[in-house]
Amino acid sequence: MAGGALNPERWQEISPHLDEALSLSEEDRADWLAAFRAQRPELADFLEKLLQEHRALADEHFLESETQKPTNETSLTGETLGAYKLISHIGEGGMGNVWLAERSDGRFERQVAVKFLRLAVASRGAAERFKREGRILGQLAHPHIAELIDAGVTTKGEPYLVLEHVKGKQIDEYCDSRKLDVDARIKLFLDVLSAVAHAHANLVVHRDIKPSNVLVNNEGEVKLLDFGIAKLLADDAGPAAATQLTLEGGGGLTPQFAAPEQITRGPITTATDIYALGILLYILLTGQHPAGPGAQSPANLVKAILDIEPKSASDVVAVAAAKIDTEGIAQSRASTPDKLCRTLRGDLDTIVSKALKKKPSERYASVSAFADDLRRYLKHEAISARPDTFAYRTAKFLRRNRTAAGFTTLAIALVIGSLSTGLLVANRERKVAEQRFAQVRELANKFIELDNEIRGLPGSTQVRMQMVSDSLQYLTSLGSDVHGDKALALEIAYAYVRVAHAQGDPTSPNLGQFAEAEASLNNASRFVDPVLAKDPANQRGLFIATTIAHDRMVLAERGAHQEGVLRDGAAAASLIERFMNTRPTESHDLYSMRYFYSNVAGSYYEARRFDDATRYCQRGLDIPLSSTQGNGFILAILAAARWQSGDLDGALRTSLEAIELDKGEAANGHASLRVNLANGYELEGEILGRADAEPSLGRSHEALAELQKGLDIAEDLAKQDANDYLGRHNVATKSLEIGNILRHQSSQDALAVYDHALTRIREARSNVSTQRDEAELLAASSYPVRWTGRDKEAKQQIGRALELLNQAGRYPTDKVEPMSDTYDALRAQADDYAETGKAKEAIEGYQQLLGKLMAWKPDPQNDLRDATCISRTWTALANLLRRTGRTEEAVRLEAQRTDLWNHWNGKLPNGQFLLLQSLSQIAPSAVAKQ
Amino acid sequence: MGCAPSLVALLEAAERGSKSAADALFSALYSELHRLARHELARHGAPMTLSATTLLHKAYIEIAGQDGTSFPDRNRFMGYAARVMRGLIIDHARSRQAQKRGGQFEITTLGTEVENAVDGEKLERISGALDELAKAEPALAEVVDLKFFCGFSFQEIATMRDVSERTVQRQWEKARIYLHRSIAEELEV
Repeated sequence: MAGGALNPERWQEISPHLDEALSLSEEDRADWLAAFRAQRPELADFLEKLLQEHRALADEHFLESETQKPTNETSLTGETLGAYKLISHIGEGGMGNVWLAERSDGRFERQVAVKFLRLAVASRGAAERFKREGRILGQLAHPHIAELIDAGVTTKGEPYLVLEHVKGKQIDEYCDSRKLDVDARIKLFLDVLSAVAHAHANLVVHRDIKPSNVLVNNEGEVKLLDFGIAKLLADDAGPAAATQLTLEGGGGLTPQFAAPEQITRGPITTATDIYALGILLYILLTGQHPAGPGAQSPANLVKAILDIEPKSASDVVAVAAAKIDTEGIAQSRASTPDKLCRTLRGDLDTIVSKALKKKPSERYASVSAFADDLRRYLKHEAISARPDTFAYRTAKFLRRNRTAAGFTTLAIALVIGSLSTGLLVANRERKVAEQRFAQVRELANKFIELDNEIRGLPGSTQVRMQMVSDSLQYLTSLGSDVHGDKALALEIAYAYVRVAHAQGDPTSPNLGQFAEAEASLNNASRFVDPVLAKDPANQRGLFIATTIAHDRMVLAERGAHQEGVLRDGAAAASLIERFMNTRPTESHDLYSMRYFYSNVAGSYYEARRFDDATRYCQRGLDIPLSSTQGNGFILAILAAARWQSGDLDGALRTSLEAIELDKGEAANGHASLRVNLANGYELEGEILGRADAEPSLGRSHEALAELQKGLDIAEDLAKQDANDYLGRHNVATKSLEIGNILRHQSSQDALAVYDHALTRIREARSNVSTQRDEAELLAASSYPVRWTGRDKEAKQQIGRALELLNQAGRYPTDKVEPMSDTYDALRAQADDYAETGKAKEAIEGYQQLLGKLMAWKPDPQNDLRDATCISRTWTALANLLRRTGRTEEAVRLEAQRTDLWNHWNGKLPNGQFLLLQSLSQIAPSAVAKQ
Repeated sequence: MGCAPSLVALLEAAERGSKSAADALFSALYSELHRLARHELARHGAPMTLSATTLLHKAYIEIAGQDGTSFPDRNRFMGYAARVMRGLIIDHARSRQAQKRGGQFEITTLGTEVENAVDGEKLERISGALDELAKAEPALAEVVDLKFFCGFSFQEIATMRDVSERTVQRQWEKARIYLHRSIAEELEV
């Protein structure tokens, strides 16, 4: 062993040097090691070796996730089995060891593979049966099936198979290494299908199809291995063994390729192979297992196989989850993520999902039927499998969306162009003018309606903008001439509202032009206000005015003008009441009011006025609508209000109700509804567990899974529309939560998430909101950057975060809101000082931060967020004071903190969970006093 | 439980170096944690997962509550209880494995990553190596107990021990190097 063995004594000698080396970044380490070698040559080699191991350990997540493969068995090299001499150990499958062998009698040059099966053939009868079955399998001759040459039992009673030795790569690796595109992959897969069809025709079921059993040799020929071996084993060991085998076959006891009936011990038929082939195709197309990426626990996998519909193949490649490299996956398919997603969406999704049906009877009836559909796909013919839901058709429409949208723009240009010409003519010839006027108006309004229809379609933002502003231009040109036409004034006002939406309605896909949106709203007011002044109960006028007030409120929330938000919110709420007094009956109008209430409630929630927020939620829920549409969002606000008031259990329950409703609404694909669902997951994740922000149930593993669902949706939206800002903002907020949990588990993982979100947010046009998002992400990721030894970079990031906040008008400032972006950045700065040995600066930083928090006038006695934030700042400061020997000051702070939590402990509806959370901050011996 | 008063005495005696007190403390804490885990699972029904972290917090609150003001501070308690938790988890993994041989699936009950990641045999090897490491650098071994076996975050551990999170991360990295090395050596022997 290089450098000698490890024991406690040797460790003590090397430990301080290891400390020093680990505190350096990778780049600096080499120089340091060279210097160290000059001083302590006897230790240098060993230390270098340990550092190398350290790097490998980080990569393999040692002690963090799955580890360890079974160890090799004793060497059999040189032994002979019947006519074969073993040459070398070449692998270890789930069933046992595989050896390379050649004929010992020299009759053939050919090399073979000898596979030892991990089971004991106890009786003589069993051994005979094994050999007999083996010979039946040997007759299964097909160009794409690896030949079974012989089967036997060693003198020790160990059964073995002699197989054609295939030199090749696993099919998925082969495809990736050659960068085969989707069509080429399908063609190769059709060869696999022909082999399986041949076996099925001979009444042999494979039972264990998986990538490692499907090889492709250098000539590009597919070879299936291990046909029917699972059955040999099953017959030998009874019905349980096949499942067990699959379990072990996947490595580390994961039934990755098992069909539902293999888990539930149902009958194994040809449909079982079809299911496994479905998984194989899924992997070839997407690079992912249908159960999702990453290490899966057996329990989760079983759940996935039995209960969870896999994501459609196209969704998987479109969505960049934290652990999926969609760029890389697309590249190895000679494609881009967008293109790949479009290729898979539709027929291929349908074909794969048909093969992956949970019920065997719903899958393809035969391998040939499966193959037929794939051939039809390759020839661009209609496939036989039917999509099962309406969502399928929507998806199909979306795939063509790009082209369709192009058509729309063209059509508008043509129509408006011809009408304009018509109007010019009309102006000259007054007798036809009125008729033209009416036509043009009708058409312009049609487009506005159309905008409403396509508002939620991913990818439509730019088109909408063009469409709406063209219509507006047209209406205004009419409006300049016409006075006293109430209806026209309202139409123009509404057109301005629509333009504002496309420019910067933060609740649906938009261009991020918030200042322009505000100007458009002001223009809308100019037209609607005079109408309402004359006719205060004008229903349409009230509707538009309500919309304007609501939109202003939402816009004010994005910017730095917090004080305006509640003013606009109150205005919106009173306008909603006025509108409701006109007794509207249109369900669309009623739905809008419910929606407006929900956002007003949201604004009051943001302002920490939980009682008002709850009241407006209630009014929104009370809007007389037969459907529950929109209630999901309202419930989410209720959940958040409960959460912030400390009722974590109640909050979790309400958030789950909200997600249930959101799911139903998001199913139709409307982008803003999917945003709601994404936000629902985010909220649930935050309630479940958030490492260093607000109180949570401390269930951070579950939280990560839920947050990931939210991120997937946001990522999907961002991907589908290169101009959409909202999707990017959501990617940023979800990633921030995920990263903030992950960074306390693995710096590398957290960095990957933060970096991806930074890329996304930088794709959007810069505005106050993107600046704030970017600042938050930079401040948060400064921690793992520093923890991986890049001190200088971490400092730069914090500096850049503060610069961005400056641009956004949030810094410098005397008042800092608890848990705000400014808090996070300043906190990151002080933490950075604390961790890089600058205790003085750090203490100053924390003290200043506390001063700014207090200047904001927080309410830690009544507001849980404020309490948590202040308490955490105290904790950081107290820890540092303690470390620098200023114990008395630390003790004083800790006493303050204990008082605060004792106060809360008596006050909260669910003291137990809160106590669990706050305990981790309470000073030594503090709890005992309670 | 009635064992609470003696827990304090045992903890103090163990810290003064009494081997028999340490053993008694270990088994008293062990049965207390075991009892709490079963109690929680029964309360929530079978499919619920219970994290080791929550379990330790609950144990502390209960024991501290029974014992009033004289109970030692939470951080000392956690350091000690984490070692006990390690034993509990290893025993649990062992019994799970025995069940698995019977072909049954079992849902994880303690909910730490540990159980999904590593088999019982390997856990025992890690545990042995940890005992060795505790002789050389006890702080490192404790970090592994708290993080790997009990699921505390770096941040919580840092707060518990009045050091920076960065320090804890570094200690974790070092401990991993040590453990990996000594497990690898054991395999080669």
